[in-house]
Amino acid sequence: MIRGSIKVDTKICKGCELCIIACPQDVLALSVNFNDKGYRYVELISSACTGCINCALVCPEAAITVYREPKPAKKTQAKV
Amino acid sequence: MEKEIRKEEPRLMKGNEALAEAAIRANIDAYFGYPITPQSEVIEYLMLEVPKRKDKETVVLQAESEVASINMVYGAAGAGARVMTSSSSPGISLMQEGISYIASAQLPCLIVNVVRGGPGLGTIQPSQSDYFQATKGGGHGDYHLIVLAPSSVQELADFVFDAFKLAEKYRNPAMILADGALGQMMEKVVLPADNSFPKVAKPWATTGKTKDRERNIITSLFIQPEVMEKVNLELQEKYAAMQSEVRWEEFNTDDAEVLLVAFGLSARICQKVMDLGRAKGIKIGLLRPITLYPFPYKRIAELSEKVEFILDVEMNAGQMVEDVRLAVEGKIPVHFTGRMGGMILSPEEILHKIESIHESLTTANV
Repeated sequence: MIRGSIKVDTKICKGCELCIIACPQDVLALSVNFNDKGYRYVELISSACTGCINCALVCPEAAITVYREPKPAKKTQAKV
Repeated sequence: MEKEIRKEEPRLMKGNEALAEAAIRANIDAYFGYPITPQSEVIEYLMLEVPKRKDKETVVLQAESEVASINMVYGAAGAGARVMTSSSSPGISLMQEGISYIASAQLPCLIVNVVRGGPGLGTIQPSQSDYFQATKGGGHGDYHLIVLAPSSVQELADFVFDAFKLAEKYRNPAMILADGALGQMMEKVVLPADNSFPKVAKPWATTGKTKDRERNIITSLFIQPEVMEKVNLELQEKYAAMQSEVRWEEFNTDDAEVLLVAFGLSARICQKVMDLGRAKGIKIGLLRPITLYPFPYKRIAELSEKVEFILDVEMNAGQMVEDVRLAVEGKIPVHFTGRMGGMILSPEEILHKIESIHESLTTANV
């Protein structure tokens, strides 16, 4: 399983929850904290993120950046 | 809006930003405001964009408070400027004194209320609980605002032009009554063309006395009651004339058995309810008042002859429903469903309500 992570621009997140609905892994939730405008921004609540980028695609504010762990290098290369 | 001026590509914009951009394109002379969620993007956008437009002479100023901003609007409007302000519910409450003064002095201006849940400081989520405040006066004295209720980002932009046109025609403050969701919503919008809205002559404005006329005085203070009554009669005459500007939108009302009445965002939700209901065989129609003042009493009265019952849907405890009941005059039942405090109704919730009313009606008939 590919592991991923997200970074939310908390300043522009408006807590619309679209990403929470879009997330197949159910690893997103609204924070208990607020941003400058008073919105509860979204945050990652577990390490089960696969980096599928669904959240970033639906985000109307483009506030989510998705990171994926690089794939492990193939072992066949070591034989040479 | 005429077709020929829509030459631009559609853009994806936030409601507040579309409104601000439309204001720039309407060549406003001044904007005075004070930030408050959920409409802070209006002043943010204006502050960023106006300095880039070298052809514009717009003043954008963050006042020290909402009270200061509405009084700056009063001053600018008196001097003949095309001027606007925007705020959200608690801020609009602070402005009420100034709005009453502006209405009394008969000055055109635009006030945008991006409503959030109340009462009190409330919440920052969308609500429609400022209907009474917007349509029945809000401040002291016998006055009304022209109130337009957009239900999309497109209308938020278009109504800036419409509101200024009406305000300048009747020399009366106009209000755009949106809500927190519309302000924050990202949607496709085709902006009205730049410079497509010429300035109108304002011979009453205090721009300095010329030899050929008496001096202009802008005031809302009339010490003699006889004079004050005369001003009031003038205002009432104006409000009577304004009734011809009433606007509304109808969906599937030809064969409707159930009529939904909703404005703004609620009307968008009701469109979905209508589709869901019609798929189940319930003939639902929808009437959306676009102008909340003047209110389409006459059309609702006409439709009440044809439908079984009316369901009024609002994001408040039931405010517009009072006007709907006035229009219906007890001829058919008028039901209400709504949520408060920043919660948004779901289409299923509304449909369930319609079905339960339907059921109670049929069992009552048996």
